[in-house]
Amino acid sequence: MKSFEFFAAKDSSDAVALLAQHAANAKVKIIAGGTDLLADLKFAAHGPDVVVDISHVDDLKNITLTEQGLNIGALVTHTQIMRSPLIRQFFPALVDAAHTIGAVQTRNLGTLGGNLVTAVPSMDSGPTLMALEAIVTIAGNGGRRQVPLNEFFVGPRKTILKPDELLAEIIIPKQNLGKPTHFLKFGLRKGQALALVNVAASFWVDWEKNVFLAPRIGLGAVAPKVIRAPQAEAYLEGRTISAEAMAEAGRVAVGDAKPISDFRASAEYRRHLVAVLTKRALESAWTLAQTRRLEGWNGQRNA
Amino acid sequence: MVNVTLRVNGETRSASVPPETTLLRLLRDQFNLTGAKLGCDVGDCGACTVIVDGQPVNSCLMLVGQVEGREVLTIEGLANADHLHPLQKLFEHFGSLQCGFCGPGVIMSAKALLDENPDPSTEEIRDALGGNLCRCTGYTKMIEAIKGASCILRGEEAPLVKSA
Repeated sequence: MKSFEFFAAKDSSDAVALLAQHAANAKVKIIAGGTDLLADLKFAAHGPDVVVDISHVDDLKNITLTEQGLNIGALVTHTQIMRSPLIRQFFPALVDAAHTIGAVQTRNLGTLGGNLVTAVPSMDSGPTLMALEAIVTIAGNGGRRQVPLNEFFVGPRKTILKPDELLAEIIIPKQNLGKPTHFLKFGLRKGQALALVNVAASFWVDWEKNVFLAPRIGLGAVAPKVIRAPQAEAYLEGRTISAEAMAEAGRVAVGDAKPISDFRASAEYRRHLVAVLTKRALESAWTLAQTRRLEGWNGQRNA
Repeated sequence: MVNVTLRVNGETRSASVPPETTLLRLLRDQFNLTGAKLGCDVGDCGACTVIVDGQPVNSCLMLVGQVEGREVLTIEGLANADHLHPLQKLFEHFGSLQCGFCGPGVIMSAKALLDENPDPSTEEIRDALGGNLCRCTGYTKMIEAIKGASCILRGEEAPLVKSA
């Protein structure tokens, strides 16, 4: 690994100050869990001049319910997501997604923020957060700004983050708290596999009319970035809930995907997986919706 | 250079090393603790697994500057010359390792699992070993050993019959 200057930030404002100080005239990288960054730097011909360590920044490690919704600090690890009582209660899909990432050791180090910032199209955190219309808070020298996660990704390994900015938190908006959601990943092995395709589906139910409300579908590994499936969502909106509708939504979602062929799978196989996984994710979200209703979760929105 | 002070196997250790040094290199090259192995060096193989603040991690994926003040346990801290840890005893009994390169990492993953979950199912053990690649054994005898060790650590009698 090429040498660099190393600075450890004490808190998020310290981190922002360090970025402001160095980003103007040096190539700066932020290290959190390091699971992606160090694996990259060991093979990189040109490394950063400066590395800012935020792994000890405690104010970005909280999972809290706020006025805005469920706020997850960018430094929350995948293991912490799997163990959080709040996330387990409201969003088992996020727990499932975290569990499919890497292995125990990398889940103990790797962070939710890091998974998003690396912006690999096959990231396993992406589809569920997209299906829950997550918002991200970006911290910079001029203060904090919020953008929908949908607008955060630019392309493979590219986000809208400027060199002097860091991802501070991920927010699942209040109106989606407890929204029935399901995540599915198809990899070639159970452990440490990258997704050929991953999918998350969420929707509310109008129990009187038995129709889909606000269906949202997130797709990973089938486009240059994690995407929503707008045509499939439009197909389901207000439609009567049925197995046929879910299967058709899967077929429609294929049209939203733009997969490539690579050494892991052909584009054709990925399109097939989009149809199957979207259908199954919808079916499982529907099961969760029914279970929650039986358990007496209050109403549909703001459950 | 980065000055780092941390606890390793219960002792306070310090070093002054270049900032790009990983925890694994620190342990092996500075502290002469060569139990943790340098395998893939990118967090895939798990041969470098050590326990930091109670959690198993890839020591090849942490920079020295990130382990300041942390508590690190390596395979060398698990036993002394007179007493093996029950995991080590049962790995020996069941013949759970062949070439042995993955062994220290596997045992540290198993130790972290049993610290947290004293009676894991086969599925939970397999999940805990998902980040430790072994190309010799097929894992069956490791799982038997980890189950046996979990019995001993719970104060029960361990089933010591070998499967094949």
